[in-house]
Amino acid sequence: MTGEITNYVFEAMPHFEGYVYPNEATQQPLWSILIVLYPYITGLVAGAFIMASLVRVFNVRALEPVYRLSLLTAFAFLLCAPLPLLFHLGHPERCFEVMMTPHLTSPMAIFGFVYAWYLMAVLLLELWFDYRRDFVQWSARTSGLKSILYRLFTVGVTDVSAPAVKLDHKLGHILSIVGIPSAFLLHGYVGFIFGSVKANPWWGNVLMPIIFIMSAMVSGIALCVFNYMVLSWVRRKPIDMKCLDVMCMFLFYALVVDAAIEALDWIHRVYSAEEGFQVMQYMAREKLFYTLNLGQATLGTVVPFLLLGSQQLLRTRVPELTRRRMCFSSAVLILCGVLAMRWNVVIGGQLFSKSLRGVMSYKMEFAGLEGWFMGAVLFLLPFIVLTVMIKLFLSEQLPTSLSLEPKEGPAR
Amino acid sequence: MSLSRRSLIAKVGATLAGVLAAPVARTAKAAVQKILVSTGAARGYDPTKHKWVMAIDANRCIGCGLCAEACKKENHVPEGPYYRTWIERYIITKPRPGSGVARGETLVDCPEGGMHGFPEPTVPKEEIQHSFFVPKLCNLCEHSPCVQVCPVGATFDAPDGAVLIDPKYCIGCGFCIQACPYGCRFLNPVTKTAEKCTLCYHRITRGLKPACVEVCPTQSRVFGDLKNPVPDDPIQHFYENNKVQALKPHLGTEPRVFYAGIDKEVR
Amino acid sequence: MEEKRPLGEDFNASDSENAETTADNERLASNQKGWRPVNKMPPQVLRLFLLAFGIVVSYSIARYFLTPPSFRQYGWFRGEAITELQAREPVFAGKKACEECHSDEMAKLLKHEHKTLSCEGCHGPGQAHADNPDVKIGQQNYSPCVRCHEANPSRPKWHKQIVLKNHYTGSKCTECHVPHAPSEVP
Repeated sequence: MTGEITNYVFEAMPHFEGYVYPNEATQQPLWSILIVLYPYITGLVAGAFIMASLVRVFNVRALEPVYRLSLLTAFAFLLCAPLPLLFHLGHPERCFEVMMTPHLTSPMAIFGFVYAWYLMAVLLLELWFDYRRDFVQWSARTSGLKSILYRLFTVGVTDVSAPAVKLDHKLGHILSIVGIPSAFLLHGYVGFIFGSVKANPWWGNVLMPIIFIMSAMVSGIALCVFNYMVLSWVRRKPIDMKCLDVMCMFLFYALVVDAAIEALDWIHRVYSAEEGFQVMQYMAREKLFYTLNLGQATLGTVVPFLLLGSQQLLRTRVPELTRRRMCFSSAVLILCGVLAMRWNVVIGGQLFSKSLRGVMSYKMEFAGLEGWFMGAVLFLLPFIVLTVMIKLFLSEQLPTSLSLEPKEGPAR
Repeated sequence: MSLSRRSLIAKVGATLAGVLAAPVARTAKAAVQKILVSTGAARGYDPTKHKWVMAIDANRCIGCGLCAEACKKENHVPEGPYYRTWIERYIITKPRPGSGVARGETLVDCPEGGMHGFPEPTVPKEEIQHSFFVPKLCNLCEHSPCVQVCPVGATFDAPDGAVLIDPKYCIGCGFCIQACPYGCRFLNPVTKTAEKCTLCYHRITRGLKPACVEVCPTQSRVFGDLKNPVPDDPIQHFYENNKVQALKPHLGTEPRVFYAGIDKEVR
Repeated sequence: MEEKRPLGEDFNASDSENAETTADNERLASNQKGWRPVNKMPPQVLRLFLLAFGIVVSYSIARYFLTPPSFRQYGWFRGEAITELQAREPVFAGKKACEECHSDEMAKLLKHEHKTLSCEGCHGPGQAHADNPDVKIGQQNYSPCVRCHEANPSRPKWHKQIVLKNHYTGSKCTECHVPHAPSEVP
């Protein structure tokens, strides 16, 4: 087969060139913006949780100010995560079948259980152990609906004696440890959904779950940076620069690992140039030019790499205001870059034919369940949920207890 | 909480007993249903006693498109880019003189699935080195990747060799459509479930042939039952008289639909 | 961590502040390290354990009721689906069905080159007609002859093809050809 994609098409369908299988010649790809958003959101959840576990498990005390914010971020985004999937299903009313008769050879079947496990056993429990003492105290200090709500959240366990709180800390610690592999599973299975499709050379390779996990961590940490800075700005509170510097350090190193693995994937594809390489190269050049080269690579990886990397080298010489601006812009760029990466993987895999002879286009509609508007709504919804949670659980009026065990007795 | 240990154990034990009784009850229910209610195949058809298979002799295909059209009518497939079967035309041109290559470029097309036949090629006849038609359909894989990835068990390998979809159970996630290397699946826009060639299951279980095989004028599509060969079985003739190829063998799906007379350019 | 003292003793320390009965105190005092009586299990753990148990039980009950009855009859799918897929009505009747009423035409067809052709390929789907002969068989809206016999370089060489504009400019192929017996003249 020569490299030319200039096969003639009898009926000039405007949205594909070359030859595509007749079933592929649909107006919209099967997995659309909704399926781009789902891995993005669960990736943010996993990354934000890893940020929180850095505090609990690895005892990075500098990150304590963002501990609860990270957990609430993960929680808010996790609550909104199934929505894109539900909207995408042909029969959402049958969604329970995934949990009633899960087909164990399918990575998608794990969704119901991993999601339920992560939501209930990891996130909710860890939040509860962390907040329980506060719930008891807050329910006493507030009145009306809020008081009832806080009392509800205590689940009736109102013992706030020292041993009980110590037990809370211990169990929360155990949960954080359990939560790390759970977070990897929550997002890793999504990467495996794509990585397991041998029919599609853009998706089906062994690095896909690793790339997804690493970019999830990067995006989650960036989201925590973003949320922390926005919240501090809204509340007119000074930013804890030590916390911010440590966050950006982790962000930088996570970005380095992520960029290295993505680069490895690209280098391997170019070097081994397997059968579908030419059509994929054409597709990436023609259809993904802006999202791949500009969005994911330059703005999403290279620029934050330079900004954050220079901070690692020159932190003492850069004034605080500049550092804050560099951190914030890096976080925003990374968030956009990882979204672009999800787009490139999901949509890119559907923009060329399995006949390896043609490419398709994707013109997003505005309205409709799979259009721009719905995508924007589903993207903003977790932020709205997070705002509500911050008002309830990170309120400035209500005092909070320390997240980590207070240092007492002999130093560890 | 002031439960005594004894009462707690009693409560847990009672719940456990209740939970364990459930499968027993279900087995009993299923046994009763098996005797009294037919919940399986229609009387007279045992799917384990047949093994349906189709083969394609591309040497004989004339590209009339009757098969694709009949399939659409037989299975009420909606209008649009939705095909349970289709025919591709391959045109391999002659190399430019002096270019030092064996062949020119390969052009593939499939106007409306080939349903209404094929028009004149835009390449003049003198420049064509080879040209042929390839009917395509579900390849009836031994290790179907589509069945492997279905999250709920809506698509399955029936015991008689067909790969089928349960339209009442499919949730429309589209994973099977992504996983099929041969592009034979699509999402039905009316039922919002996945759909594909079923070998006209409703016909073959009644002793008829699939609609595409029925109307093919040149016997390019060969159909048979490997477990019940008929005298002068066309499928046995096909296997005995042809060197065959399978599509995309490197993916390990072990397709059971073999093609005779296709070229290396066919994907 | 300095939790070298068993948890029970910590609880003892706080319990003694609440007025418990002497009997309870004696029971607590006789606890060995690590053994927790259920009624003194930390309430968090107890509640969560019960909650988890409740969730598992409700899931099992839901699964029992919501799994279709014929599931796993032949494999990981609804066995009834096989029956349902079989129950669809055919649209094409098949050559044997045509032969039941049109055996003379069939006999003529089988003697000539078009013997491998299906009746419905040219005449259209026929199950409705086979069920009720008053219903006319489905019409085709093109010339069935040209569809197969128009010259096309992609067609195999053994297949008889004509370049229509050079061959004939009249209106009907049947003026010179008999479709059921192509080598005969009308």
